[in-house]
Amino acid sequence: MPHINYEDKELVFKIVYYGPGLSGKTTNLVYIHNALDRDKRGDIIVLDTEEERTLFFDFFPLHLGRIEGYQVKFNMFTVPGQVYYEASRRLILEGADGVVFVADSALSRMEENIESFLMLQNNLESFGVDWRVFPITLQYNKRDLPLLIPLGSIEKRLGLNGMPVTESVATDGTGVMETIRLASRLVIERFQI
Amino acid sequence: MVVKRGVKKSEVAAVLEKLIEKSGSLTGLLITKEGVSFAEAGDTSYLNTTAMAALVAGMFSATREVARLVGEDQFSILLQQGENRHIHISLIQDSGMMVVIFEGYERIGRVRHEARKTGEELSKMITDKEEKRQEESREKKEKGEGIIATSQFKEYALNAIDRIFETR
Repeated sequence: MPHINYEDKELVFKIVYYGPGLSGKTTNLVYIHNALDRDKRGDIIVLDTEEERTLFFDFFPLHLGRIEGYQVKFNMFTVPGQVYYEASRRLILEGADGVVFVADSALSRMEENIESFLMLQNNLESFGVDWRVFPITLQYNKRDLPLLIPLGSIEKRLGLNGMPVTESVATDGTGVMETIRLASRLVIERFQI
Repeated sequence: MVVKRGVKKSEVAAVLEKLIEKSGSLTGLLITKEGVSFAEAGDTSYLNTTAMAALVAGMFSATREVARLVGEDQFSILLQQGENRHIHISLIQDSGMMVVIFEGYERIGRVRHEARKTGEELSKMITDKEEKRQEESREKKEKGEGIIATSQFKEYALNAIDRIFETR
């Protein structure tokens, strides 16, 4: 459910980038922020540790423009990937209208992807959200690595059907805009009020 | 969420303005649990309120987890003491956070007192409006009014998304 301000005619959606540690969530967000025209974006906040691991979250507001009299915004967040930040991850996810799951395509990281996706399911369920109908876009990131998990393998392991999937190399921007385009389309298509 | 309950931004801003005046504070904000600034009062020219709202909501959520670790449901007040500026944050009905930014730590007693009174006023406002909103919402639904997510809205929004996120 987006934030709606009827008085100012403002509509704010929340999109959260979720996934295992170091899968490229912040890289996605920073790329999008840099690629957008200045009038479409607010300042980006990146809260990371010295080891470039996201401590709390990254965030920036994206201005879609005025549509049917409403100023439409997307607040873009990432969550910390490391397993021990479970509490902050769950909290940032609360109230999300859509999720981009950034999977690490390195063959050695299959289990971390699965574990993280299961956590996402649990988190959503804890808010009473049915993850089967919730807008989730699955991004297979780091497709430039030599040893890759095959496309479709995460869905197969988890028994997922019909989830939109993209391939990306977030470090050079490949597939990043396509992913957010798909994810935000899903959010709008599902929006009802 | 505060807005879902039919509370008007201008009404909240007026209540916050009163709090700012009485307590001699700098800025007052009401932030939703989702991290959106709902209403603002006082001087906000020095402040990125969008970023502030996102960070405060995150901070409050983290504090809730800390509270649970020590066997509390929630810490209802957070106080941040700086060199010159200080922040008093209080929870409003588990749905929003009221932020008061003030200078001069000696004001803390007055800020706490006024913040408590304002918190009660806002809580009452939310409760009172809830019933009214439900009633209005029922009426609007019957008349087919107040619907934003029309097919036209969606079409325009999807076009805007395609334009903004075109592959570069």
